[in-house]
Amino acid sequence: MVAQVQFEDLHPGPVGERFAVVDYDASQKTFYQPVNLDDPQIVMRQGLDPSESDPRFHQQMVYAVASETLQRFEIAIGRRVHWARFDGPKSKKMDKTGPLPSHRLCLFPHAMADANAFYSRDAQGILFGYFRASETMPGDNLPGQTIYSCLSHDIIAHETTHAILDGMRSYFSEPTNIDVTAFHEAFADLSALFGHFSHREILLDTLMKTGGRLYDTWLQAPMQTGSDGVELSGQIQRINPLAQLALQFGEASGMNRGLRDMLGSKPNSDDITRLTEPHARGAILVAAVFDAYFTTYTRRTADLFRIFRAGGGSANPVDLPDALAHRLAEEAARTAEEFFTICARAIDYCPPVDMTFSDFLRAMLTAHVDVHPVDDWHVRSALMEAFRLRGIVPRDAESLTENSVCWPQVVKDSLPEIPELIFGDPNGLTREEADRNGGVLRAYAAKNAKALGFADDHGPIDAPSFHPIFRIGPHGNLIIDMVVELVETRIVEDNELGKYPFRSGVTLLIWQEFQQNGQRAAPEIHYVVPKHRTPQREEQQRLHFSTIDRTGRHDADGHLKKNASAHDIASAWKIDFGLVHAGL
Amino acid sequence: MAVRKATKKKTAKKTVAKKARKAPAKKKKAPAKKAPAKKTKRSSGRSGSGTAPASGGNPAGLRVRMYRVGFGDFFLFTVPAASGPKHILIDCGVHSKDTHSIQAAVSHMAAETGKQLALIIVTHRHADHVTGFSKCKDVFKDFKVERIWMSWYENPKDAKALAIQANIAAVATQVSHALAARDKPEDEQYRNMVGNITEAMSATGTQNPGAFEVLRGFPGNPPISYYKAGDTPELPQDLVDAGLDAQILGPPDSNNMIKKTDSSKEEYLASEAATEGGHIRLFSPPFWVQPGEYSSDVLSKEDILAMQTRVATVQPDTLAARAGVANNLINNQSLVTLFTFKDKTLLFAGDAQWGNWANFLFGSLTGTTLKAASKAILGNLDFYKVGHHGSTNATPKDALAAMKDGCVAMCSTAIGAYNEVPRDALITAIDQKTHHQLARSDQVEAGNAKPDKDAGALPAGVFNASTVMVGEVPCGFIDYVV
Repeated sequence: MVAQVQFEDLHPGPVGERFAVVDYDASQKTFYQPVNLDDPQIVMRQGLDPSESDPRFHQQMVYAVASETLQRFEIAIGRRVHWARFDGPKSKKMDKTGPLPSHRLCLFPHAMADANAFYSRDAQGILFGYFRASETMPGDNLPGQTIYSCLSHDIIAHETTHAILDGMRSYFSEPTNIDVTAFHEAFADLSALFGHFSHREILLDTLMKTGGRLYDTWLQAPMQTGSDGVELSGQIQRINPLAQLALQFGEASGMNRGLRDMLGSKPNSDDITRLTEPHARGAILVAAVFDAYFTTYTRRTADLFRIFRAGGGSANPVDLPDALAHRLAEEAARTAEEFFTICARAIDYCPPVDMTFSDFLRAMLTAHVDVHPVDDWHVRSALMEAFRLRGIVPRDAESLTENSVCWPQVVKDSLPEIPELIFGDPNGLTREEADRNGGVLRAYAAKNAKALGFADDHGPIDAPSFHPIFRIGPHGNLIIDMVVELVETRIVEDNELGKYPFRSGVTLLIWQEFQQNGQRAAPEIHYVVPKHRTPQREEQQRLHFSTIDRTGRHDADGHLKKNASAHDIASAWKIDFGLVHAGL
Repeated sequence: MAVRKATKKKTAKKTVAKKARKAPAKKKKAPAKKAPAKKTKRSSGRSGSGTAPASGGNPAGLRVRMYRVGFGDFFLFTVPAASGPKHILIDCGVHSKDTHSIQAAVSHMAAETGKQLALIIVTHRHADHVTGFSKCKDVFKDFKVERIWMSWYENPKDAKALAIQANIAAVATQVSHALAARDKPEDEQYRNMVGNITEAMSATGTQNPGAFEVLRGFPGNPPISYYKAGDTPELPQDLVDAGLDAQILGPPDSNNMIKKTDSSKEEYLASEAATEGGHIRLFSPPFWVQPGEYSSDVLSKEDILAMQTRVATVQPDTLAARAGVANNLINNQSLVTLFTFKDKTLLFAGDAQWGNWANFLFGSLTGTTLKAASKAILGNLDFYKVGHHGSTNATPKDALAAMKDGCVAMCSTAIGAYNEVPRDALITAIDQKTHHQLARSDQVEAGNAKPDKDAGALPAGVFNASTVMVGEVPCGFIDYVV
């Protein structure tokens, strides 16, 4: 399989514009030789060939998959992703070191001898571990074989997505309710899973082996099982790779399956009240999105199957004709791309804090309506139905109809315009423009706090992010928006929990109408996506925080220190993906 | 009884706080002075002196007695019945911070009860709640016990329960080996956590036979019942006739109620893999290089150094976290019992932590509204055995808030056994809730331990502290007569 990434100047590492691969192993206190992808010998061969025993291939793989994942996101959301900055408490050890270069995400392909891999804002990077395969249940691996998490396409994509999401929404890593961590995991899984569909070879192979039913859990074996029950290895059914994540990793850990196999489970509305473990809970959301995806894929390919059958093809085909397989692959890939785009764009339509599954559903539908006002294939109803079957219903919406599930649009002229806002161009804002926008937005928030829904006794309102978005609409038109987070933070002091931040705020989607009479129209707020302070929310966050066990965190007591800064406090409460990914 | 009640009332109003009870108040003031004058009877306990305390010290009313044994629970709950006082033993064990007085305490209890127990409740299988049975097996072996209650997790016929316990024990064993291998002094509390699991169960751990064999081997094989929240437990007839009623409030039945239970297959990473593989050498030596190979145009020496430190420091201590999770899982298996006697209600919560409590309080882990029934129970509570030695999430704020103002609480604890146990903020909150009617086991002398100065003085008038010599060993306990 070949990964195509954009050309850029690379230093040994590889170290490029957005990523720095640094192969430091903290368990062995060793560096491994960095690859120089600009080396003519390697360029000539289009990169190193796969090799488990050469660290340079590992580095190349991590770089390529992470870059590919980032690219897919940036295309989908129509703007550049900024990595979240390290801003937490510094341990004594850390104090000696200066700040990390902010614009690169560090990738550590062999960071530790541990069956773990995780994104860490404090390291501003992703740490990949390695471990020995289970001696007793290694799956398809050799017992005791060394397994590298950095060689799993899925794990790299998953972790990179955590970093991207943290960069897009820094408060989504504050687990203020039971859905937040689960959402981070679900979103990373969705990204990794949809990534599978962008790879033609796998897609075609799976289509062939499922007779076009991509959603089947099992692939058909190349040979049929005889009636006498004898089974040759060629007759063993293989698991559908599209619906599994990190098969090798899961099998090597003794799980006898991929790290996650959430697809194909029977929908029920019970799980949502029962499951609390972030991956298990996240799987509910993933399953709902994939349910809608497969429903749409089936609708879009129904005609192809009808044509195939009309031409004498079997209703339950074992061998798909090549041409049909290619057409199906095209539909599957196109639909996957569309769904991935809905998911990625939905982030910009989520409230800035305290996010729930229900918010995500509402955000997805709104994002979809904005770009595809006409929904020929009933994607939105497929989504609503799939979510409803899994007990995820839009809270506070009047009914389960498209109109009431989407966030309500701001009534024209009910909020003042923001004339001073600068949208810049698709290459981003200059520092001056950004500084100016920050000031404009804070002033606007202070002046219009009440109209935006903030409580009367609100504190200072900050604008932690504002990004212009440039997207292509269905008619090839360029849609320009700006997504703004406005957040009010209070530091709560609790006997039991120590200090913690309680946040509320709104996400604004602002757009600029066409110019009139030679004048640029003033930007108007189009959506206000709220998460306001309510006694229920305060109570819910406190209860949820009291369930969090901090044992084993590297910053376990950051919020208990006497003169802890707001940053220290926030940092101590954010999700520790190292523990979440270790199942703890 | 009437006199006693009057005393208590007065104390609650804090009018005669230091009146007749010389012992607790004085003890704090002058422990040094007391030490040389070691006598058999040190305080106002009613028990006789010497090795065989008379059973005549039994109360006419309801009594809760908390023995001090170190970090561990040992409670004797006595109910007046027609045929005389009936005794319920709730847990008997010690793990860390052992005061080496459990043998003395068990002998004392044996004499006091005449080796007759109406009921034994084993809240959960942690060493600090059960090792007394194995350590004192010779004393226990001819006890006459009518019934035994445990949580459904201990039912040997429940395949699900067996699998869960086996899994937790396996994880605890792995983690304890890994902790032993890395040999860091600051790991003590994590070693305690897993040791608390492995030592209670293993045949070789403390003593052979283990606590559960003792519990299952009482003469006449008294029936053992396994309960979950909502079950109606079966009390011995004498106690029912005496007017005692019991309800089981925890642990919940569904695994999912208790966060992150047994399902290792749901874990992102199996623990086997996580605890092995520390000594893998990767790649061949020519690939091992110095950091200088990175281009200083893009990564300075300082950048590289910063990264090196970050990679090493941000890694969570997954071993410690695993120890914590295993510890919580077992705590959450605690059998939570609510006793009602006439108009008094008493809650023994074992070491129940959040998952167990959440079911009782909110009906689920995702709920946020206190159930009306739970509110009513807590609002009427007269006595609360503080969960998990006063640790932070074993008495949820919401539970404490709902409890009746001025109820009485007892907490068996020992400072320094675990980080943040007991949690000062919580102890203060309970003290306020109970109108300063909170007793701590470390407020009485027992074994080799004096009253802990940091624990403060035992509230005068409410409780009755005694230290009696059993053989050479001081046996300390605190009584609360309802």
